[in-house]
This record gives sequence, C-alpha cells and structure tokens, in this order.
Amino acid sequence: MVNQKEAAQPLLSIENLRVQFEGETGPIVGVKDVSFTVNPGETVCVVGESGSGKSVTSLSLLRLVEFGGGKIVSGRLYFRLDGGEATDLAQMPTERMIDLRGDRIGMIFQEPMTALNPVFTIGRQLTDGLRRHRKLSAAEADTRALELLKEVRLPEPERRLKQYPHELSGGMRQRVVIAMAMACRPQLLIADEPTTALDVTIQAEILGLIKRLKRELGMAVLFITHDMAVVAQLADRVVVMRHGEKVEEGPVERIFADPQAEYTKALLASVPKLGEMRGKPGPEPLRIPGQPEPVAPSPPTESATDRPLLSVNGLTTRFPVKGGILRRVVANLHAVESVSFELAHGETLALVGESGCGKSTTARSILRLVSPLSGDVVMDGQDILGLDPGELRRARRNMQMVFQDPFASLNPFMRLRKQVAEPMLNFGLAKGSELQDRIAFLFDRVGLPRDFMRRFPHELSGGQRQRVAIARALSVNPKLIIADEAVSALDVSVQAQVLNLLMELQAEFGLSYLFISHDMAVVERVSHRVGVMYLGRIVEIGSRADIFENPRHSYTRTLLAGVPIADVTQRTLKENAEFKPLPSPVFPVGQERPAPVYEEVSPGHLVLQND
Amino acid sequence: MVYIVNRLLLVVLTLFIISIVTFGITNILPGDVAMMIMGTQSNPEALEGLRESLGLNDPLIVQYGRWIGGVLTGQWGESLLFNEPIAPLISQKMLASGLIVVMTMVMALALAIPLGVWAARHRDRWQDTTSSTAALLGLSLPDFFIGIMLILLFAAYLGWLPSSGFVDPTEDFLGAVRHAFLPSLALALGLMAHLTRMTRSAMIGILNQEFIRVARAKGLPERTVVWHYALPNAIGPVMTVAGLQIGFLFGSIIVIESLFSYTGMGWLTYQALLNRDVPLIQSTVFVIAAVVMLVNLAVDLLYRVIDPRIRLG
Amino acid sequence: MRKFLSTKALIGLALVLLVVGIAVLAPLFIPPERATQMVMTARLQPPSFDFLLGTDQLGRDLFARVMLGAQTSLTIAILAVGMSIVLGLPLGIISGYYGGRVDNVLMRLIDALLSFPILLLALTISAVLGPNLQNTIIAIGVAFTPFLARIVRGEALRIVQMPYVEAARSAGTRDGLMIVRHILPNVMPALIVQATISLAFAVLAEAALSFLGLGTQPPQASWGLMIQASRQFLDLAPWTALVPGTALAITILGLNLLGDVLRDVLDPRAR
Repeated sequence: MVNQKEAAQPLLSIENLRVQFEGETGPIVGVKDVSFTVNPGETVCVVGESGSGKSVTSLSLLRLVEFGGGKIVSGRLYFRLDGGEATDLAQMPTERMIDLRGDRIGMIFQEPMTALNPVFTIGRQLTDGLRRHRKLSAAEADTRALELLKEVRLPEPERRLKQYPHELSGGMRQRVVIAMAMACRPQLLIADEPTTALDVTIQAEILGLIKRLKRELGMAVLFITHDMAVVAQLADRVVVMRHGEKVEEGPVERIFADPQAEYTKALLASVPKLGEMRGKPGPEPLRIPGQPEPVAPSPPTESATDRPLLSVNGLTTRFPVKGGILRRVVANLHAVESVSFELAHGETLALVGESGCGKSTTARSILRLVSPLSGDVVMDGQDILGLDPGELRRARRNMQMVFQDPFASLNPFMRLRKQVAEPMLNFGLAKGSELQDRIAFLFDRVGLPRDFMRRFPHELSGGQRQRVAIARALSVNPKLIIADEAVSALDVSVQAQVLNLLMELQAEFGLSYLFISHDMAVVERVSHRVGVMYLGRIVEIGSRADIFENPRHSYTRTLLAGVPIADVTQRTLKENAEFKPLPSPVFPVGQERPAPVYEEVSPGHLVLQND
Repeated sequence: MVYIVNRLLLVVLTLFIISIVTFGITNILPGDVAMMIMGTQSNPEALEGLRESLGLNDPLIVQYGRWIGGVLTGQWGESLLFNEPIAPLISQKMLASGLIVVMTMVMALALAIPLGVWAARHRDRWQDTTSSTAALLGLSLPDFFIGIMLILLFAAYLGWLPSSGFVDPTEDFLGAVRHAFLPSLALALGLMAHLTRMTRSAMIGILNQEFIRVARAKGLPERTVVWHYALPNAIGPVMTVAGLQIGFLFGSIIVIESLFSYTGMGWLTYQALLNRDVPLIQSTVFVIAAVVMLVNLAVDLLYRVIDPRIRLG
Repeated sequence: MRKFLSTKALIGLALVLLVVGIAVLAPLFIPPERATQMVMTARLQPPSFDFLLGTDQLGRDLFARVMLGAQTSLTIAILAVGMSIVLGLPLGIISGYYGGRVDNVLMRLIDALLSFPILLLALTISAVLGPNLQNTIIAIGVAFTPFLARIVRGEALRIVQMPYVEAARSAGTRDGLMIVRHILPNVMPALIVQATISLAFAVLAEAALSFLGLGTQPPQASWGLMIQASRQFLDLAPWTALVPGTALAITILGLNLLGDVLRDVLDPRAR
C-alpha cells in the first residue's frame, strides 16, 4: 500500500524546518532542521522523548506554534490542497491559514480532559467549525454533528449533543475531539500524543478508531508519540527525533528490524515488549547498548521461618462522599475492597490496573498514609493497623515509598544531602562521619555523582530526582519498598535505567517490592508475581507466567489485549473496539459488596469468581 | 437545592459569629462604653449611673443576649448621636451607598473586562505593558487622593459636577447620579485596576488551555476564540473577585463618603466611630459585614447558575 | 516579558529603597522641630528655594513633614504586617497542617472575620482603643490577620498533600520537625509575596486612618493627616495635597511592583 504511493506526489513536505522560541538569554531552538514527507493516505509516526521537538513540529504545521511564542525561522511546509499545487504553509497569509485549519488539516491533542470548552455543549463545539467552513445552517450542522458522533461510535449520540464536557469521561471526550477534527473531512489528521493521558483499554479503542477512520476516509495521519509500541501498531513510516533534529527515518518494518542510528537502537532496547518474557524464570533487566551489563535479581529467598514479609488480608479503604445538609456522608467511594495478598522476602509483587482501580490507595493504606476501614496488614510479624502512632512511626522504617512525580517528591528547599539524611536522623541510625559516609555510599549506589549532595532538586533532571528518592528510601535499610508508578513519568530511556537500578538493588539488598503500575509491559519485566485490580478488588493474582501466559479473568484478558506491543510483526489493534464505560466505584452508605470468592486454578493463581 | 439549604445554614452560623465579633470589639477591648461616651475625665458617679442605665453592669453574655435579641426583633435602639431610631437611619443610608457601590461596580467592570482581555490577548507586547502599567498606577493611588484630585478637576476647575452632598435617588434620580458620580469614579479607578489585572491573569490562564488550541485548530478566527470562546470562562472567576471586592468597597466608602460629604452608610459609620456612638457602631458594623457576606453568597449562587460544571453537581 | 519584568523589578526596588532610605535617614538630618515649626509669615507658600515643596496652612515646611512622614508610614506598616504574620502564620499552619475539626472551626471563624471590610475593622478597633500610633498598629495588624491566615492555610493544605511530605512521614519525621523543615520553608514564598502586598495596603490603611482622624494624631508627621489638612485649601494651595499624595503613591507603587516581581519569581502557582 505504501509502495504504490511512493510514486505519487507527497501530500505534505516539510523541508528544513527550524523553529525558535524567545528565551531569557536569546532564542531557544525548538526544532533545528527537520525534513520529511507525508504521502496521501499514509500514517507517519514522529517518535521521540521529551524535548525532541516532535510536538513543536506538529504545531508548526498549523502555525499554532506562534501562539506559544514560537516562530518558524526558516524552512518550507508544502501542503498539496485537494490535488492542486503545493503551497507553503509557512508563508501563507494568516487569513488563509485560519480557513485551512480544521478544514483541510485536522488536529487532536493530548489532554482530552481539557480539550473541550467547559461552558459550551458538545453540540455547539461540534458544529461551530462546520458552520464556519461549510457555511451550514444550524439544523444542517446539528444533523452532521450527530452523524459524526455515530461515526466515532459514541453511545447515545443524541443525548451527548446537549451535554457539557464534564459529563463525559476522558475516553468519550477524546472521541468528541476526534469527531471535531474529522468534521470537514480533512486531507491530513495531526494527532499529538492523543492517547498518552488515557488508560490502556481506552487507548486501544482510540487507536483502533483512528486507524478505521483513516482507512475509511483515505486521509493521511501524522501521529506524534513517545511510545514505540504505539508506533509499531500504527505507523507506515517512522521519523525518529531527538533534540530538535531528525535522527532516522524509514518504513516501520525497517526501523524496528534494522535500526541504523545508535539512538534508535537504544530507544528500542529500552522499551519492554509485552510477551518477550515468556518462559523466563524471573525478572530480567533491559540490555541497553552503550550501558554496562545489568545485574539480574536473584530468585526470592525462602526465609527460614517461611513466613511472608508482608501479608495483607481483607484490606478495605473507603472515602466518604459528603453532601447534603450538615455535610453528612451520603455515599462511599470504595477505593479498596477486601484486598488480600502476600509478599515474600526478596520478591516483587506488581499491582496493575487502570486509573481509579485502587492500586495506589492499597499502597498508601499499607503504610497508613490513609486510614483503612478494616482488614489486616502484617509486616514482618507486626500488625500495622493496630499500632499506636509511636509504634507506627518505628514500623515504617521497614517500609519506604517511592512516588510517581519526581518533581513533587523532593522538598524544593532542602539540599539533597539533607533529604537523604533525614530518615536516618529520624531513626537515629547514623550520625557524624558515619552519616556522611553512608550518604556518599547511597549516592554512589544509585549512580549519582557525589557533588550532587550539595545541590537542590531543581538542578536535577526527572530521572536523577527519582534516583535521589530511591536513595532516600534505601537509607534506612527497609525490607520493603513500595514503588507507586515510580517510573511512569520518565522518558523510556531513563525509565529503563531506573528499572534496571531497582532490579540491581533488589539483587544486592534482598529487597521486596510492591510495584504499583499501569504499564503491563513494564510489570512483565520486573515482577515475580502480579495482582490485577479492578474497581477496588484483585480480580486475578498469580505468578508472572500465570497472569501473562494463562490469564483467566475476562478483565485481565481485556487489559492484555489492549496493550500495544512494540513489535511490528504483532499488530493486534482492533479497528472496531467498542466503547465500554467504567462502572462507578461509589456506593450508597451501608451497601456492602459480597466478599470476594476466588478459585485457585493452579497453586498460587487465584481468579475472582463473583463480580 | 440541598446545596442552597446547606449554604443558608452556614450563613446563619456566619452571621452569629459576625454578631459576636461585632459585639466583642465594642465590649471586650479596654475602655467601656460609658467611658467612651463621656470621656476619661468624667465624674465617676455619672459614669456609674450611665453604666447602670445602659445595662453595662450585667454580665457580658446578658448584654449580648439583649443586643442580639433587639437586632433579631427589629429593636435596633436609638443612636446617641442623632437621637433617632437606628433601623430606618441605616436603611436610608444603605440606599445611598447602594447607589455608589452599583455605579462603582458597573464603571469598573465595563472598563476592566475589555482592558484585561486586550492585555491578555497581546500578552508581553506594548498593549499589555501599557495596560499593566496603568493598572499598577491605579492600584497605587489611594482612593481618597484620587477623590481629592477629582474634586479639584471636575468640581473646582471645570465646575461640571458637584463635589459634595447627597440627593435621594427616589426623588431626583439624575441629581442622585450626578452627586454619586465623583465618589463612584474615585472608587472605580482603583477597583478597575484590580479587576483588569484579574481579568488579564484569568484570560492568560484560559488562553493557555488545551481547548483554546483545539478551537484554533478548528479554524476559528482569533477574535471568536478570544471573545466568544475564552471570555465566557473568565467571567466566573472575575465575578467572584468582583464580589470579594465588595468588602474592600465597603471599607473604602467610609473614607470616600466622608471626603465627599455624601451621607451614606460609610459616612454614618464614620460619624458613629468619631462620636463613639456605641449602639450605632454596633449596628453599622454588623450590617456592613452581613451585607458583604450576603453579596458574596449571591455571587456564589449566581456562579452556580451560570457555570454548567457545578450547575448539576 | 523578561525585559519588562526586570524593568519592573528595578523601578520597584529603586522606589522602595528610596522610601526606606528617606525613612531611615530623614530623622538624622532633619530636626523634628523643622516639621512642627510654624512660620506664620509663610503660610500656604508654593514651592520655592526656601521651602522646596512649599508650606502648609500653618506655615510648616512640607519638605520636612513629608520626609519625616515616611518613617511614620513605614514603621506602622512594617509593625502591623509583622503583627499579622505573628498571629496569622501559626493559625494558618495549624489549620492547614492538622486539618479536620481544628481546621473547620478556625476556617468558619476566619470566613466570618473576612466579611468585615479590613478598613472598617481597623477603624473600629482604632476608635475603640483610642487613636494613637500604637493602637493604629494593633488595629491594622489585627484587621490583616484573617486574610493572612487564610493564605497560609491554603498553602499549607497544598503542601501537606505533596509526596515529599508523605515521604518524610513514612521516613518517621515528627510533626514539629515536619512543620519546620517541610511546611514552613515551602509556605515562605507565598508568605513573602503576600507580606509585600500587605505592606502596600498597610501604608494605604494607615493613611486612610490618619486621614479620618482615627490613626496617627497631630502633631506627628503623617501623610494621611497632611492630605486631610490640605482639603480646605485645595484650590488655593493644591501642592499641600499633591506632595503627601505623591509620596503615598510612590511608596505603594514601589511595594506593589516589588510584590508583582516577587510573585512572578517565587509563587509556584503563578509559574
């Protein structure tokens, strides 16, 4: 399909694009020198990490970059309008550019939650573009809007037209945004990370939708993403970008099978691919070209007493929903419902699930950062939920946490040395030169230069901050580290390094991890055992092989089916993935959900029977 | 509905606290009412007699009960200064001040919103610098100083508008507006500066939102994006701030009404404070605080009617 | 914007330094008699070589009075804002950090107090206590407290939810240390910004109180008093109003500029 188009003239041709932003000390280059083409009916993926200039490139096409203080300094952006002559978008008068936007070129963005104007109805936002570009009457535009909503398979389209954005979920909003971009049947659709903020099952639906619309309408798609797996599933051709420059370009098969640039190789090696751990006994670090050979963690140690390090039984945490007169509790958000699991010494148990499934609340409940309603948490023989504040404080020494957001997890006003020292001082573990030696050791161990000890958090990158957070957690020699989406906010190459570090530390110190994540491919890499959570409950738990190679619960299967695989030979994307709304976890006061019943399909592999 | 009942209960609680604070300020602080009325040099026997007749020797809680009971039943007592019942006095002065407050708000909003939008739309360019500088200057000139300048210019030199006095709007509306114009303008300039800055920052926040980019990507012209797409989102926050500014306005009218000899609520409060007319102080302070709170409540409820996000919730 | 910002910062800093310099130095060079000395033969004189900024209705040198007024104004503003911080900071921190019932009670109280216009509250307190310099400070300081407590509480509430506070809690940090090490330093930026803006407003409030005769009392040199005195002679001697009015505007403008710049630089929410 791509080959026959090679001969055709490109729809879009970017030549030597250079974009600058005004900075404090002179211009900052957002895109240095980028050239590539998009043919009619072709999907081109532009992939890169943060700061690569991929988004700036896409915004330059519609000249939206001007609103962010950017300026197209040089280069040509030839666009072939409906088979006519190619016109340079960079030189086009503003009035004509405005006419083109949303008509011949449609665009969708990353954040569906904020992509719609909160004070207007969906109907109005769908029709205003149509009425402007197509000069339709109000009634005609309404009819067309309804067709568009049906086209993107939004359930109950008639009702949606009269609704406001806040009444729709993120996945539904992204469908509306796509419908808006498709309204005038554009020749080119630019999609700037359209699924990054969405859960994996919703992501699969949206990607499938884009693929179907592209085929049905024969338009070209320029897809901007950081996710190699999405690229593998969607692209005809790939442009790899880094630091504002094109690193490599080629057909998707060639890029994955035979990457030429070192950067592309490293990028591909950093991405965990779902399914590639099949048949392997335990977690395995990622091998990244140019990085030292990583150390694999040893299998979990069977402790002398054969007692698990952490045992959670029937843990339930609810948040009151207050309302009415006198702010009484009118309902409860059942965040965590009768969750039970065990974690052995030196083991990694991953809790996976989509947003709102209760995985993070489970972690915080174990540490009692939120107060659980009922259940037992026994850590190293100690009943955590029964401790008084003083005992709890001492007990927490054995359980430390690493958070998701590297920018919020360090105190911006404290030197890093002090932040790492604080836990040790609190528990009186070390002082004087012993303390200094230990801090230096920890900085060495997490791979940070010692002169970082005197620095403040803002002087570090996200990955470096996450290393400091790990050093801080390690400082008190905990037995358990709870990593709450600890690598989710990092670029893939940094993510791979931090994951490898975590695995190394496990091998060295015999740590146990409770690894909270939404990323199935990462979980497959790092964990010994996996628990899948849905609506506050564990629906399936078992060894990594049980969950990934023999999933039994329907939700686990849906989740796995939704994960894009970073492998061009395994294109699993379904074009007709239907919209499935997520049920609400809010229940009236007093309503109890039945206690979970599990079937043990094989030793240690439990599947929820009643849901 | 539940929300409104809820808010009303909160209003009752807040009014209760306001009444305690009002009563407390005039009673718990050193120097009692009798002394304030008669001065520190007065005869102890006369003082004692006055205390007895005012009920000042009763426990404070009894005095508070008597006062709040009076407030609730409409027995607001008499002003020592004017020898008049307080309730009709206040309602009459409130009307006068209401005119000023409304005129101030209208003038300030009518200028501030376009100016703020204009500055935000041309962020960091000369338009923004000009409007921001003007706003900063407006913010930095004390309103009574502005008032004096206005008197000098419009009343003394140009002779266009009266510089003092009050005309009852129910008798001569145009005359009332003419008399209220300069005091309102003096108040409006400072308020406008504040609201311009608010509108600007609200609009800048909104113009950076994704839905604005989406609107531009749809091919809507910039004028539509700014005025029809972004501005409706800014109205809510700006109205809320304007509501909060009612509090500041009721502080400022004390100074401005005194300056323009405009016999409204501010002037009345000032006379009460200056002459230590304790019953009148208590009533005016209580009424002003209550009005400020109620206006904010009204703005909040209005916001709920306008904004679809909280209308249903 | 950077350019505008730095111009703003420079002007703001220059104005504030100028006023502070005058407040500190003027009393050393201008004997207090200069400000109270009445020259009956030189009443309501326009600016001249003898009287740089003219004289008032009692023949007092306006230059001396306006210079000495800077000290009155700044002293009262700084002490009043200081007082509101001393009262409001702990209230806000406790309310925001501990939350729950304590927060509920404190916030109801503060919300009710915020219904009182600041100027009305200050005027009432000053009138009840008896107007003088010390009571003016108390009146403005108390009147500002609820506002400040509310800002601090909002910040504390935001900071308590930050992961670094949760991490410190998991690492066994006790409440006292938590507040000193993690909450207070992070409240500071917002507090500094608020304090600067409050200073501007306190200068204004002091002038308003004095203008109404419920603040600083004569013969103390105060800008508000000077403007009050000028009212009767406005058309004869407009400079008697312009001189103290300009001094006030310069001081408030300087502080507002500084507050703006500090907000841009320090306030995490404005970034």
